[in-house]
Amino acid sequence: MSNILDYFKYRKKLLLSLILLLMFAWSLFSVSWNSELLHLGGASMIMKIFKSLFNPEISSEILTLALKSAWITVVYAACGISISIVIALMFGILASGIMFKKKSNSLVAIFFKSLLGFMRAIHELVWAWLFVASIGLTPFSAIFALAIPYGGILGRIYADKFRDVDSKPIEALKSSGAGPIQTLFYGYFPLTLLDMLSYTMYRFECAIRSSTIMSFVGLGGLGYQIQLSLNDLNYNRVWSFLFFLILLVVLVDLWSSSIRKGLIER
Amino acid sequence: MKKFNFTKALILLFPLLVCISWIYVLKIEGADILSVFTEKNLIHTKKFLSGMIGLGEAKPAFLDKEIIKDTLKLTLETLQMSIMAIGFSTIGMFLTVISASRRVADGSLTMKKSWLGLIIYYITKTVYLFSRAIPELIWAMIVIFVFKPGILPGAIALSLHNFGILGKLCAEVIDNIDLRPIRNLASSGANSVQIFFYGVIPTVLPKFMTYIVYRLEIIMRTTIVVGFIGAGGLGTQFRLSMSFFRYSELTLILICYVFLVLIADVVSELTRRLSN
Repeated sequence: MSNILDYFKYRKKLLLSLILLLMFAWSLFSVSWNSELLHLGGASMIMKIFKSLFNPEISSEILTLALKSAWITVVYAACGISISIVIALMFGILASGIMFKKKSNSLVAIFFKSLLGFMRAIHELVWAWLFVASIGLTPFSAIFALAIPYGGILGRIYADKFRDVDSKPIEALKSSGAGPIQTLFYGYFPLTLLDMLSYTMYRFECAIRSSTIMSFVGLGGLGYQIQLSLNDLNYNRVWSFLFFLILLVVLVDLWSSSIRKGLIER
Repeated sequence: MKKFNFTKALILLFPLLVCISWIYVLKIEGADILSVFTEKNLIHTKKFLSGMIGLGEAKPAFLDKEIIKDTLKLTLETLQMSIMAIGFSTIGMFLTVISASRRVADGSLTMKKSWLGLIIYYITKTVYLFSRAIPELIWAMIVIFVFKPGILPGAIALSLHNFGILGKLCAEVIDNIDLRPIRNLASSGANSVQIFFYGVIPTVLPKFMTYIVYRLEIIMRTTIVVGFIGAGGLGTQFRLSMSFFRYSELTLILICYVFLVLIADVVSELTRRLSN
């Protein structure tokens, strides 16, 4: 018996992959595989969509519209991420438990850690829908909906970074009489700033992609134009907006990755 | 004179962009933060929130046994959808990842070089970029034109997006492996198939596994979103309850959803510990 257990202990990875494979097989059985799955003429639809990939609609009208909605997408993402940085810094410091004496810190830290977990568990589009249902169709719905889950993700990472700080410089500061606020500003922030910056840039890139789909609940942007042209069955136009989206994502990707590279080289 | 610091300029661009964005939202779009907190909105918000906790309903959804049973079934469906999605994207990744590795393309891994490999490398990289730049929801909007609503279109949409991400991550794993064992194999006369099976696969598989589980965790969180389009699972029900103003059902769905995400969190944390 213990032999078998030892075997499994040694082959944990294999066991895990087997379980995943079995679950995949189980999920495949839930779909009844027949021609009912496709829409009538679905196959020709694929060809149609694929063909229009190679001649997207390009006119000055479309280009200005795409530029304008791309700008709105970027604006929502930037505003959302700026709020989420503020939330993440406050909650992250509290969740890492570096500000308090030993006794009180664990309870506060656990509370804020689970709060951050809750914030990021719910997808930004669900938040957007809840905000639209309660405060209506304003840009603030989109901004808040982006700020909450991204605040949760950034807060968790910031808290991890604060906790992993090398303890020696912090102790040196404390022993020379620095209070908790001074330790924070002269100890923790300078030590973690670069890491936090590069991660925040990566998340900004994700925020742009999320901000595109905010359109689904009626908040404008590139995604809104894509949805409109899909509803018009105008696939050529869909692809030209999609190319715009890809261009936008690639540009932000280049921006953030060159910052990261520059930070590593220093 | 100080040299112009490019990185610093790029970093400073970010706060600049944030400032311009806020000015744009507040001035040009004319959005007013105070208008959000008016009397009318307050009443509306109150109504929405009290609806969500089931005030004024004889039997809120989260106490009704039938609805709970249905929602649990939908939760299971959501789980199936995410596992199917990660399965599809893993299969796609395995089929293409070899050609997407720079090491394979320039011949330092198989000890063979061909211009065809380089062309395929660039094509695969472009396909990856394409598929990961488009969000799941927009893939779902396109896929739903072809497939009838159900679990399958949702899984396909999710896997199309994650295929690009998984492919990029795993190609990087192959690019970063230790070359010495491979050279040893090659110098003792192994051909490229043998090099692949005895040299590459054993080193990269554990890392692939970590990435797959990590993506599964994220897919679980996103399944509700493709459901909005009509791809089945909790998302579809969420949309229906929203449009019928049955807000107490929303609470039940959100509880199930958060529960699912938390389980995925714990499982991926466990596997991360297993692999270390």
